[in-house]
Amino acid sequence: MIWVTWRQHRLEALWAFVLAALLAGSVGFVALQLSIASGSCPGAVGFGYCLSGDAFGQIAQGILRFDLAQYGLVVLPALAGAFIGAPLVAREIENGTHHLAWTQGVTRMRWLLVKLALVFVPLMAAAALVGYLEVVFLNVQGPQVNRWNIFDQQAPVVPAATFLALALGVAFGAVIRRSVPAMAATLLAFVVVRVGIAELVRSHYIAPLAKTTHDLNAVGVQADPTAWWLGFPDYYDSSGHLLGNLIGPSVGQPSYVIQSFQPGDRFWAFQTIEASILTGLALLILAFAVYWVTRRAT
Amino acid sequence: MIAPIEATGLRKRFGRTWALDDCSIRVPAGKIAGLVGPNGAGKTTFLHLAAGLLRPTAGEITVFGRSPQQQLLLLLDRVGFVAQDTPLYSGFSVEDMLGFGRELNRRWDQTDVEERLRSLDIPFDQRVGQLSGGQRAQVALAIALGKHPELLLLDEPVARLDPLARRDFMRRLTEAVAEEGSTVLLSSHVMADLERVCDYLIIIAAGRVQVAGEIDALLASHHLIVGPRLNANARISGVELVKAEHTERQSSLWIRGPVPELGAGWREEPLPLEELVITYLSAPRAVTMPRPQLQAAAS
Repeated sequence: MIWVTWRQHRLEALWAFVLAALLAGSVGFVALQLSIASGSCPGAVGFGYCLSGDAFGQIAQGILRFDLAQYGLVVLPALAGAFIGAPLVAREIENGTHHLAWTQGVTRMRWLLVKLALVFVPLMAAAALVGYLEVVFLNVQGPQVNRWNIFDQQAPVVPAATFLALALGVAFGAVIRRSVPAMAATLLAFVVVRVGIAELVRSHYIAPLAKTTHDLNAVGVQADPTAWWLGFPDYYDSSGHLLGNLIGPSVGQPSYVIQSFQPGDRFWAFQTIEASILTGLALLILAFAVYWVTRRAT
Repeated sequence: MIAPIEATGLRKRFGRTWALDDCSIRVPAGKIAGLVGPNGAGKTTFLHLAAGLLRPTAGEITVFGRSPQQQLLLLLDRVGFVAQDTPLYSGFSVEDMLGFGRELNRRWDQTDVEERLRSLDIPFDQRVGQLSGGQRAQVALAIALGKHPELLLLDEPVARLDPLARRDFMRRLTEAVAEEGSTVLLSSHVMADLERVCDYLIIIAAGRVQVAGEIDALLASHHLIVGPRLNANARISGVELVKAEHTERQSSLWIRGPVPELGAGWREEPLPLEELVITYLSAPRAVTMPRPQLQAAAS
């Protein structure tokens, strides 16, 4: 089974390896350049300006400017789900080769589990590596760096998201039985789940803290750089009535502002919670896919 | 002796249609059995049930006395299956396909498979997708034979082949099973494919078995008698009528069982196998195989 799986998926393996290596290389390289530069950096924040002027520094500067790695870390898990997960079972069914594979000497269960393990584990490992390098990339920028802005690009959320995308792909492929519609369904479902979690669920993992500011000119200025500031600041008048998020000219006299936020030290708790949610979802979907392939698929 | 395949009251429903409806089949050991019927008769469904690819809606099927659904692992080594259109991994070379067979089967005779393909002049480094239809079918057959199956199921293996490739395939198939003494169940909607190689025939239409038996016995027990025109509603007693056809001047009766005493103007005409099959297929309501024989065999 190991050789057959490799023979069937070696092209995908090559692509995945090349892309993961490019990502890991660029993120790791920038992290390295930043750590070299950090000694000569006056403040903690100006990371881009501290890069050296030599060729390596310029390359690192270029990678930072285009930010391709940041997009890659969000997009590639989705593509893995669509291009590797979805055809895993669907292509066999499309070509009729599932009837060939399922009538050899191994049961469907074993056939599927070996395939899943051999395809999923290396991809998730690659995702974990790149996600970890992203964490290093932030670490070298000092303790004041804001990690929330690139929440989706860090380990352990990246490998968990990769797991979810692959599981979605396999399940849709098994049920829809055709590669291309299964790929579309996988992409759509993955985007809906991830955007839905990021926009509607994530900020509620732990009840946010509230910060009250009486000096209206200081709103946003004295904000903790490592925190995730949620929504717009709410403006209140002196008697405690909410005036609104944005100050209009005729809307009473604002007296103080309340802003809710998630402090920086909660970041890893949030990563763990979200990774657990994604992994749990992936396991449920995968269990369904295994059930479907072994019991229902024809 | 345990029959290679034994099905009783087998039913399979897809959505609203019954692909198999109360189907009882017993495939005797050591025979090459043909499963013949029009498209959509339930041939593929039956073969898939026997290969453990499907679960029956009702009824029972056993292969060597075991359920292909519950005890598949015990059967996988003993049952070979060649699916419709002989699917293979088209990106694999012939050599890779043999690797596939070797890795996925506990019982696998590499030398035998290699010899088989070499004798057909099939190049091992050729991609499967570039082989001719006949060669593909031969590779699929070789892989199915690689585990020396005691039962070989083939679903319309020659449906898409040209006549020459058909004959080659059938010849190879009969040679191989003659060597091994295995049982074969082969489906086709083309009678000519089966007539030459099969010694047992199962005719299936609309999900039911219409008739099953040794080809010699079938031929001996069915007769076509032709005589002056009868009233279409006339009761014909003393014979088991499969089908009757009346033209303006004469009536043709297809009967099962001994030929009765023929009256004046009646004569018996030859009934070749192909016509016998067509007779059953064109009369789907015709009496089906008497059940008691099956029941006795089952108990």
